[in-house]
Amino acid sequence: MVRQRRNGSNKQASKSSPNTQQDVKKESILSSRKSSGSKGNTALEKRPAKSQLPREEEDSEEEIILPNVDIDLPSDEEQEEESEILSTDEEIDHPDLSTEEEKETTGDSTESEEDLKTLNIASDEESENDDGYIVGDSLDEDELDDMENMKLTDDNNNDSDQGKTQEQYITGANGYPRRLLPEIDPVYDSDSSTENPTNTVGNIPMEWYDNFPHIGYDIDGKKIMKPARGDELDKFLENMEDPDSWISVKDVLSQENVKLTDEELNIIHRIQSGEFPDSNYDPYEPTIEWFTSKPEKMPVNSTAEPKRRFVPSKWEAKRIMKIVQAIRQGRIVPGRVQVQKPRYYDLWTDSDQPREDHVMHITAPKMKLPEHDESYNPPEEYLPTEQEKEEWENMDPDDREKNYLPKKYSHLREVPAYGRFIQERFNRCLDLYLAPRVRRNKLNIDPDSLIPKLPNPKDLQPFPTSFTLSYNGHSGRVRKFSIDPTGLWMVSASDDKTMKMWEITTGRCVKTWEVKETVYSVAWCPNKDVWAFAASFLNNVVIVSPTKISDETIFDNTVQYITSAFANIGDNEKRDKLVEWLKPTESQKSEGFLVILQHKHNKTIKKITWHRKGDYFSTIASDASNQSILVHQLSKHQTQQPFRKTRGMVQDVMFHPIKPLFFVATQRFVRVYNLMKQELTKTLQSGVKWISSLDIHPMGDNVIIGSYDKRLCWFDLDLSSKPYRTLRFHTKAIRSVAFHKRLPIFASCSDDGNIHIFHGMVYNDLMQNPLIVPVKIMRESHQIVENLGVLHCEFHPVQPWIISSGADHSIKLWT
Amino acid sequence: MSETTEEKSQIQVRFITQQREYTVTDSAILVPTNLRRYGLSEIINHLLGFEKPIPFDFIINNQFLRTSLSEYLIKHEISTENIITIEYVESMLPPTPLSSFQHDDWISSVKGHNQSLFLTGSYDNNVRVFNTSGECLQTLVGHLAPIKSVSWVTVSDDSIVCLSSSQDRTIRAWQASLVDKNYKTLYECKGHTGSVESVSVHPSCTEFASASWDSSILLWSMDMPEEIEYDILAIPSKKRRLNNSEIKIKKPITTMHGHVGPVSSVIFDTKNHNKLYSGGWDHSLRIWDIEARTNVDTKNCDKSVLDIAYSDKSGLIASGHSDHIVRLWDPRSEAVVKLAFASHKNWISCISWSPNSQFMLVSGSYDASIKIWDIRSKTPLYTLNPGGKENLDNKKILCIDWDLDIILSGGEDNKLYLHGSKTIT
Repeated sequence: MVRQRRNGSNKQASKSSPNTQQDVKKESILSSRKSSGSKGNTALEKRPAKSQLPREEEDSEEEIILPNVDIDLPSDEEQEEESEILSTDEEIDHPDLSTEEEKETTGDSTESEEDLKTLNIASDEESENDDGYIVGDSLDEDELDDMENMKLTDDNNNDSDQGKTQEQYITGANGYPRRLLPEIDPVYDSDSSTENPTNTVGNIPMEWYDNFPHIGYDIDGKKIMKPARGDELDKFLENMEDPDSWISVKDVLSQENVKLTDEELNIIHRIQSGEFPDSNYDPYEPTIEWFTSKPEKMPVNSTAEPKRRFVPSKWEAKRIMKIVQAIRQGRIVPGRVQVQKPRYYDLWTDSDQPREDHVMHITAPKMKLPEHDESYNPPEEYLPTEQEKEEWENMDPDDREKNYLPKKYSHLREVPAYGRFIQERFNRCLDLYLAPRVRRNKLNIDPDSLIPKLPNPKDLQPFPTSFTLSYNGHSGRVRKFSIDPTGLWMVSASDDKTMKMWEITTGRCVKTWEVKETVYSVAWCPNKDVWAFAASFLNNVVIVSPTKISDETIFDNTVQYITSAFANIGDNEKRDKLVEWLKPTESQKSEGFLVILQHKHNKTIKKITWHRKGDYFSTIASDASNQSILVHQLSKHQTQQPFRKTRGMVQDVMFHPIKPLFFVATQRFVRVYNLMKQELTKTLQSGVKWISSLDIHPMGDNVIIGSYDKRLCWFDLDLSSKPYRTLRFHTKAIRSVAFHKRLPIFASCSDDGNIHIFHGMVYNDLMQNPLIVPVKIMRESHQIVENLGVLHCEFHPVQPWIISSGADHSIKLWT
Repeated sequence: MSETTEEKSQIQVRFITQQREYTVTDSAILVPTNLRRYGLSEIINHLLGFEKPIPFDFIINNQFLRTSLSEYLIKHEISTENIITIEYVESMLPPTPLSSFQHDDWISSVKGHNQSLFLTGSYDNNVRVFNTSGECLQTLVGHLAPIKSVSWVTVSDDSIVCLSSSQDRTIRAWQASLVDKNYKTLYECKGHTGSVESVSVHPSCTEFASASWDSSILLWSMDMPEEIEYDILAIPSKKRRLNNSEIKIKKPITTMHGHVGPVSSVIFDTKNHNKLYSGGWDHSLRIWDIEARTNVDTKNCDKSVLDIAYSDKSGLIASGHSDHIVRLWDPRSEAVVKLAFASHKNWISCISWSPNSQFMLVSGSYDASIKIWDIRSKTPLYTLNPGGKENLDNKKILCIDWDLDIILSGGEDNKLYLHGSKTIT
């Protein structure tokens, strides 16, 4: 019921015919202008905006919303009822029609919704206005227009008239003359004629005007005079007379009583009762779920699609236009890839570009930096002289140290192009391409740790350390010398075709033998009871016993021992064709010659070696093919040819100091023969190219050889047939090596003029390897003459002394 | 302050001397420590009041002062607060070369007698007798090989008896007149089988000893052998004929074996007549008892002994070695080597004590220099180069003898050099 009624009232407001709608609008505007002075009005004016949305909803979804309203609005309804009753009767006149219309409109079109909304607002306002404002209802819109036009024309007319007639001026409030305009004379029927002049003072405390006769100014600046006011009696009477006095309020601006409208009264009433002033405001409206909180199968938003969704965007269009313009003007080139500019290249950097680490990457070697003489204008000292130029040009291009000649140009612009540029660049590239560059891992080994721990040479004394004396007298190379077994005498063989005998301790030449030929070799008989030595020249070997120096008994024994075999000379001739044992002549005999062995092979005998017992001795003539080694027996004057066939050129032979072994050194090998079994027992492979000399340790188990290719090899016969140690200290060919007979020292002498002394300890313990320690170098011990240095060295049999002979004709003693 | 520093640098010393004529006051004297030998010598000369200054040498604790006093004190950590006793002796003046006597060959041995007669053995197999004027009074011919050693036996006004040993393995005793050219071989000693390197006469002139390369030491008596002993087998008839047929052959009293190598030198103890000292190449110095004919003691060193000399004043033996060192031995003590002096550059071939001083000795070397030593000083007093400083050939000195105030030396350059040396007692 209630709802219906309410609807009805709403409709009533809006239902007014299309014609009247405009009027209503106008009225509302007017009313708002009229009631602008009162607060209540302003509050009313605002209201529709607030209530706009719920209203809208009400219209569209009546059924859902309305039930809520039911309970809340009984008082409202009453008021409305009242107001409706009080308001115009016209509306009640045709309720059917309006409902019909409404039904039509609602059923017909949704397009007019918006219109309706506005209408609703208007109708609301209208419906709440009081009767007083409906004065102009009768006026049509057209009429109004006409009126306005008329008014304009009238104004114009008036102006023209007045301007013609007179222009009046009065002094204005500001002291300047002010044109006094004629009073606007509203024509008959002027709507505003009945209206009270509107006070324009604004919202000021009106008591300011209490002492004035007027209460303000109208729109034309004319004073609005205070309305006449009666005394208290009049007031009372007025109150009594006016039935509406109890609902009237004095309007301050107009100083008149204004009857409050039902609406205003309603508001007052609501405020007084502590309710919302707006009757239409529903604080308990149901929430509208614009976005539902429940999950939906088909999530369709109930909100209307916004316009922007289907209207092209203006701003996008603008933006696109900008881009299009830029493309047209060429500021933007489509399809171009942005290239990053290279950074500056550091021309003067020291190192190559740092590359990421990689094991196999090795930077190419740097090119050599140019030197001063490569300048176009080098300093004078770099310029080659004519001679140097010539030399350079004559040189083979490959041999040239530099492939250019420094040249001077006065200006840089005169420097010609470099002709070999391409070739050099090509070579460089070729080098980089072909040269295998290998990363070498450095070994972090302390080099000192690799050196074997050797005892201090000072602890290995005695060994010869210094020069003592020299034996001067020879005038040719001293090829060989030999120290007698007692260590007191020495005999030397020289190229000056002499042999000399020396007193070792004083350097005194005791005796000289003149031989017609170069003496190649001398060797003392190791037997102490035989006072004799053997010497060789050409194909002869002589056995000499120096007279007067030795004890007579020994001398006589020697003579007898050596020459006794001449008794059976007849047999010798028969069976011995290798060597002829000759008796010396008388003159030779006086010099001590005892026997002369004339070899039949007629080759120069280079070396004589004695057996330790002094009976056998061996002679070497390397050129004499199978007779190169002959072994002679002194006591029996017999000669044997131990080898039918020699393998290689014999360099040296030695008898083993203890065992019946015979060592034969050829160019590369040392062969050891057993004389008892007549067989080859061992071959020592030296690894050198040309053996020069050989010596055997007095214990007999170690052998040293010297070679012309600078090496000294130590063989341990028990160990191996390969060298135990190969020492390479000399810078030139080794001429001779020697063991000391008693002390653990050995020596080597070389063409570089040096004698090297080594400590060579051989232990009785078979498990312990020999200890070899270099202890002393006698530098430049002999002068080098025709590339020959020290030719022979030999240790003193007892003392730690060494004697050396050289190509400088001297023999020297070192102690 | 200055006084204190002066005091600091001063020391109290007491000067003593064994030379009576140079005795000064016994009280302690304050002397600056920075003084050296020369400054101290000036002080002594000042105390003695000599107008002509005499140089003195100063000895502290048996050591010559060769540095300044302060350096010496620091080195030996001697407090400067004690009184130091300094002995001073007259400095030995540098030896003056007197004269040189030319020989035909190397001089291997020399002995002087009372600064009047000089006996030399030479490599030309001859023994010569010179007087101070360089006159060759006698040339004793007879040896068949170079002479290695000579020795005086008796010297009278008109005749001498001397011994010579030779590389021909014999020792000959000679009697020669100083007036005329007559001489004769008293006897020939045969027994060695090697060169006789050294001969030494017993102080009592009744015996003599000889050392040889055959590693034996033979002892001989001075007595004339009874008979002429002909050894038919040993000497061929031709040789015998060549020699003076009347030569008497002497045989040794005894043979002393001990050395294992050549014996280079032998010498009698002039104090204890029962002692004989010998040095050999086997690095040993041996002491022999003559009575018992045994090797009493053997002292070994590192190097071969080339010559030894005995001083009856100090009782010490000096030896020259192949390692360029002069060693001093005390035969009475257990210690092996008492002192060693190194300055020579080559073998020390000969050595001789001063007959007047217990401290001084002279050594000759293959480096052609003669050095005079005072055993209180580690460095030689003087170095003589008989052949001149520019002796480039390094003519070896083979023999040396200190005869009173004359130092005799001979060697490879065939000259007998005489150096005058005024020694201190």
